[in-house]
Amino acid sequence: MRMLLWCGMLAVPLLLATLPAVAKDIRATIVYDDRATEIDPAMEENGQLWITTADLTRATQFEVKPQGVCRNELCFPLPKARKQEFLRNSSGKKWFNLTGFAELVHQPVAHDAALAYWYFGLRGDQEQRLASLDAPDFTLPDINGKLHSLSDFRGRKIFLVTWASW
Amino acid sequence: MDLPGWQAIYQELKKNNFEIVSVAEDTGGVKDAGKAITDANPTYTVLIDKDHLVSRLYNMVNVPTGVWINEKGRIVRPNEVAFVDDRFKQFTGLDSAPYINALRDWALKGDASSFAMSEDRLRAKLGPPDANSMLATAEFGLGEQLYEAGHPAEAIPHFKEAQRLNPKSWNYKRQAYKLSSESDYGTTFRKEVDKIGGSKVYYTPPDLPPEKKQ
Repeated sequence: MRMLLWCGMLAVPLLLATLPAVAKDIRATIVYDDRATEIDPAMEENGQLWITTADLTRATQFEVKPQGVCRNELCFPLPKARKQEFLRNSSGKKWFNLTGFAELVHQPVAHDAALAYWYFGLRGDQEQRLASLDAPDFTLPDINGKLHSLSDFRGRKIFLVTWASW
Repeated sequence: MDLPGWQAIYQELKKNNFEIVSVAEDTGGVKDAGKAITDANPTYTVLIDKDHLVSRLYNMVNVPTGVWINEKGRIVRPNEVAFVDDRFKQFTGLDSAPYINALRDWALKGDASSFAMSEDRLRAKLGPPDANSMLATAEFGLGEQLYEAGHPAEAIPHFKEAQRLNPKSWNYKRQAYKLSSESDYGTTFRKEVDKIGGSKVYYTPPDLPPEKKQ
C-alpha cells in the first residue's frame, strides 16, 4: 500500500528525480468522483500514474486545454515552467500525469499496488466549500434508484440527517 | 430505527416549509439499508449513500449527525449528534429533547431562531480538515471501491489506514466492522469505546444552552 501526499512533500520527488526513470506499462483502475474506470494502457513511473489525455477525459471528464485542465467552468492552469511534469508525448499519444495533477489541486490519492487501483478524493477546492457556509450539494439515489439532489429542496428549510444499518 | 421517529417530526413540522433529507451511510447499499426504509416507509426523502459521500463532504465522523440548512442553501447549524428519541440514552447519557426542541424552534422561526448560529460561530466550527483526515477519506473510499469490486480482503488494509489517519471517525470503524468482522481489525466496538473513556463520551453533546422551558 502506498499513498501520495497532496501537501507539497518535496523531499520524495527530489530524491526520485536523481534516479533513472522507469516507466512501466500497466492496466489500472482509476476511481474519480466515486466512479471506477479501467485504463489500458496506463504508465507508472516513479510512483506517478500517467494516462492518455483521451483516458483523462473518459475517467475524470477533465480536458487538457490551452488555458489549463478544465471541466466545464472549472479550470486549473498548469504552471508554465513545470508543463513537462504533467504532459508528454510518447508512442504517438499525449500523456497526462494524473497523480502529479492531484498534488497540484490538493487532492488526496490512495493506491493499491497489487490491484493497480488509484482512488482520487475531493480536491482542495471541494474541501474548502464548507467554509463558505454554502451546504455542499450532492445527488444520491433513494431505495427505488431515483436520484435526488439536496439543491432540489432549495427554498425550504432542510434538516439533513444521517443514519446507518451498522 | 430512527426513521419512524423522524416521520412523526416531519408530520408535525412540514407545514413550516420544512424538509427532512435522511441519508443512509451504508457501503452495502440497499442490501443493508433497504429493510429499515421499507419497514418505516417514510414520506420524507431517504437516500442511500454507498460511498459515504455526505460524510466526506460535511466532514461527519459518526451517525446520527444532523445539519440545518436554510432556504438559501446556507448551513445554519453544523454537524451535531441528532437523536430523535431516547432509545440510546442509557448508552450515551444524552437526552434527545433539547435538540428536538431546538429543531422545532428553527422550523417555526427560521434564521430568527436563537438556535441558528451566527456566521462567525459557524466558521469557527467548520475549519478545513487536516491533511491526515483528507488522506483518510481517500483510503476509506478506496477500501469501499475494492469491497464493491469483490476484493473484501484487500479492502481491509485501506480501511485500517483510514482508521489510523482519522481515529475520530466512528464511521470508518463501524462500517468496516460491518463489512467483514471486528476480529479482522483486532478489536471490538466496545473496546474502542472504552479506549476513548466510555460510552458517555462517545458522542459530543449538541452545542445547546442548558435546558430551559421553550
